[in-house]
Amino acid sequence: MGTLRLLAAMAWRNLWSHKGKNILVGILMLFGTFLVVLGTSVLDSIDQAMTRSITQSVAGHLQVYSKNARDPLALYGSGYMGADDLGVMPDFARVKAVVSAVPGVRAVIPMGMDAFEIYTATELDYAIERLRKALEAGEQARVDDVARRIRAMATLLREELERRKLLLSNHAEIDRQLAIIDRVRGDAFWAELPAAPLAGVEYLDTQLAPLVDENEGYFLQVLGTDVQRFAQSFGQFELVSGQMIPEGERGVLLNQKYYDDYLRNMVARGFDARRRDIEEKGKRFADDPLMRAKVERMVRQYRRVTFQLEPAQAEELAAKLRAFLPGAQGSIDELVQQFLRLDDQNFAARYEFFFDEIAPRIRLYLFNVGETLTVRAFTRSGMIKSANVKVWGTFRFKGLEKSELAGGHNLMDMMTFRDLYGLMTADKRAELAGIQAEVGLKDVGRDSAEAELFGGGAAVEQQREQAQGFDEFAGVALGGRERAQANGHFDPALLDQGMAINAAIILDDIARLEEARGAVQAALDQAGLDVQVVDWETASGIIGQVVVLVRVVLYIAIGIIFLVALVIINNTMVMATMERVMEIGTMRAIGAQASLVRWLLLLETLMLGLLSGALGAALGYWLVSSLGTSGIPAPADELIFLFAGPRLFPAAGLGNVLAGFAAIVVVSLLAILYPATIATRIQPVVAMSPRE
Amino acid sequence: MEAMVELRKVSKEYPLGKLTVRALAEMDLCIGKGEFTVVAGPSGSGKTTLLNMVGCVDVPSSGEVLIEGQPTSRLKDRARTKLRLHKLGFIFQTFNLIPVLTAEQNVEFPLLLQGELSRAERRARVREMLELVGLGALVRQRPNEMSGGQRQRVAIARALVSLPHIVLADEPTANLDTATGLTIIELMKKLNRERQTTFIFSTHDPRVMEHARRIVRIVDGRIEGDATCGGSA
Repeated sequence: MGTLRLLAAMAWRNLWSHKGKNILVGILMLFGTFLVVLGTSVLDSIDQAMTRSITQSVAGHLQVYSKNARDPLALYGSGYMGADDLGVMPDFARVKAVVSAVPGVRAVIPMGMDAFEIYTATELDYAIERLRKALEAGEQARVDDVARRIRAMATLLREELERRKLLLSNHAEIDRQLAIIDRVRGDAFWAELPAAPLAGVEYLDTQLAPLVDENEGYFLQVLGTDVQRFAQSFGQFELVSGQMIPEGERGVLLNQKYYDDYLRNMVARGFDARRRDIEEKGKRFADDPLMRAKVERMVRQYRRVTFQLEPAQAEELAAKLRAFLPGAQGSIDELVQQFLRLDDQNFAARYEFFFDEIAPRIRLYLFNVGETLTVRAFTRSGMIKSANVKVWGTFRFKGLEKSELAGGHNLMDMMTFRDLYGLMTADKRAELAGIQAEVGLKDVGRDSAEAELFGGGAAVEQQREQAQGFDEFAGVALGGRERAQANGHFDPALLDQGMAINAAIILDDIARLEEARGAVQAALDQAGLDVQVVDWETASGIIGQVVVLVRVVLYIAIGIIFLVALVIINNTMVMATMERVMEIGTMRAIGAQASLVRWLLLLETLMLGLLSGALGAALGYWLVSSLGTSGIPAPADELIFLFAGPRLFPAAGLGNVLAGFAAIVVVSLLAILYPATIATRIQPVVAMSPRE
Repeated sequence: MEAMVELRKVSKEYPLGKLTVRALAEMDLCIGKGEFTVVAGPSGSGKTTLLNMVGCVDVPSSGEVLIEGQPTSRLKDRARTKLRLHKLGFIFQTFNLIPVLTAEQNVEFPLLLQGELSRAERRARVREMLELVGLGALVRQRPNEMSGGQRQRVAIARALVSLPHIVLADEPTANLDTATGLTIIELMKKLNRERQTTFIFSTHDPRVMEHARRIVRIVDGRIEGDATCGGSA
């Protein structure tokens, strides 16, 4: 005890006698420990946040999917282009029965992911629809106004076709189209209209409307699932607008992020984007050429506003705009263009005016909650299938409102998903066999196969025309044999019957994840099902790797710091040992064992390490704690997902502090290894006079 | 007379570049209990080498060194260290105090290594030794706060505190002025008289030799003369 106290005193004083060097080494060790505590705390917090993000939004704790999958399951995308081939689990009910029987499993939710095209009406479709209503109501003023708009659109279309004509050698088709346009632009068409309104509208619907390019191709990333159970099982799910899809009903719930980012009126979106630029990113129109370019683009989109206005509304708005923009003249088109010329001075007032006066007069979204949209899919069997699905509402994952990743999934009822995914189920196969038997079709030969294909193509064409000649979509019959039953009710019990691509498993206790994974896999194997189980981290695909990557980078940084510390400590201690050869020799001569010398050096380094380690850990703990109160703002929207919200609130645990100490002790011990060896080799004879 | 130290045909050779230097050549020597022996000789004669052999801080190339009849040349490092701790006391030419320790702690050091005495016993012994060398008032000073003579007194107290049977002093007065050197010699003689401690020290200072009872003269690693002087004992 006395020896230890003396050694400690010696070590302590030795530290002070090499103050300069030891302070440098101390700072290095302090910084290293600080970084370990801070880094591991933040990473652990990200880990927990991401676990929450992933497990409580889409993945659940475990995911099951077919063993025959060619690609690994990646719920947030694999990082490669194209759709992953995940195979299917043909009989979900069986999988569910087997998995549910495993202790600790709380819920099994069928899923399937795919991207479908959505079709919506164009501005021309809306205009034709308004014309139809005006004609029915016999309001000539409205008819004239809409006619003016349709003719303006026809003119724009003509310009476009003329440009296209320059690029094509075969003009026959374009000339045919130009003839249709010119007929609509001409006075004769409109003069005849009151006499035969139905024929006229039909002409517009079937001849003119198909010439307009559809709205930009909208792809709907869909997560087919048992929406009811999904909403109950995933804690972060939250309905934003509309209502939950009632049990036994078909339909979709759109992700609010997708709804706002892709389906919102472009001018409204532009206003919001510029506001974020100004308020969140501190940009100014005066300094930022990109912002000015975006304003220019917005000005050109004035039709997204004016085409939607009824004549009365246009008059009203024009009056308001003239009052709002002093000295402004011209038509509603010109007024709106002037209004959209935003700069730093006028932005705030115009933003307010837009949402107070303009937004209520136009459709803010490509389609509204409660409406029905047409979804088209290229099925796995090569056919094209369409379905009309009702948009029941929008939802979000709490805290992840701004996350692109969490915004990637729109929920669709499993029945419609299965129809659109188009895989032959046992039932369907039986049904098809029945039909084949009925019509006497035994085999499809080469010739008839071609006929089939052409037949299918015709069906698609027809379908497409119908989709555009819509009337509020509802009740529109879709052409073609391959149409899915739209808006039909179904027996909720059927949800589990049939295929699923994957399924989420919710456990009672996430701490027993690995154990549960093994148990579920064993149960599936025993039941002879070709289904594999992965944990949420694996299932999340590339996202799960991000944290691993960040961790690796941090560990490398800490490793480098400690390596530098190690080299410097080693060097310092070697030099200190060399300076103390006489002292150590004397100690050995008067009877100190070599081990005592080793202990002395060890104690010195450990003291320095623990002291600077304690300071570093305290500093790290303090910083993490204060960050835990204020939160670390996500520097980019992409990180919101990792942070499970716009801010990360890290917390340092005992484990993080201990990790810091463990690291510093290990570094100290490694650093002292060589100097201690040198020191123990010092012979007592060196204390004596130099050799004669 | 009881032999404290016995050298039997001890040789020591050092490599020096391509040459081999023979520092001791088949030396036989016997030193009895309570002797006050000076090893004298010019620089390079082998004095320090002889002391290293006796002090068990170095091993002979051939021959045997016996301490109180126990052969030492084949002892392992641990055993030899233990032997030094319990039987030998060292006084160095350059004092060799541990700079970070106070006078008291320097003197206490061997007792701590022995680990046989209680804290109170150690304290009493240390005070006694410091009183003995006339430094009772300087217990809390560090070596760099003391004069050369004071440091050597602390070193003597450290060498004696464990009550060694043999004290080896390598040119103990070489770094001291004449007057201080003589005081130190007087102190060692006094201790030799009062405690019957065997003293062996090397020097080439003729004034120191005057005080010796036995002078062993070494030239080129061999004993040239071994005289017992009656004068001062």
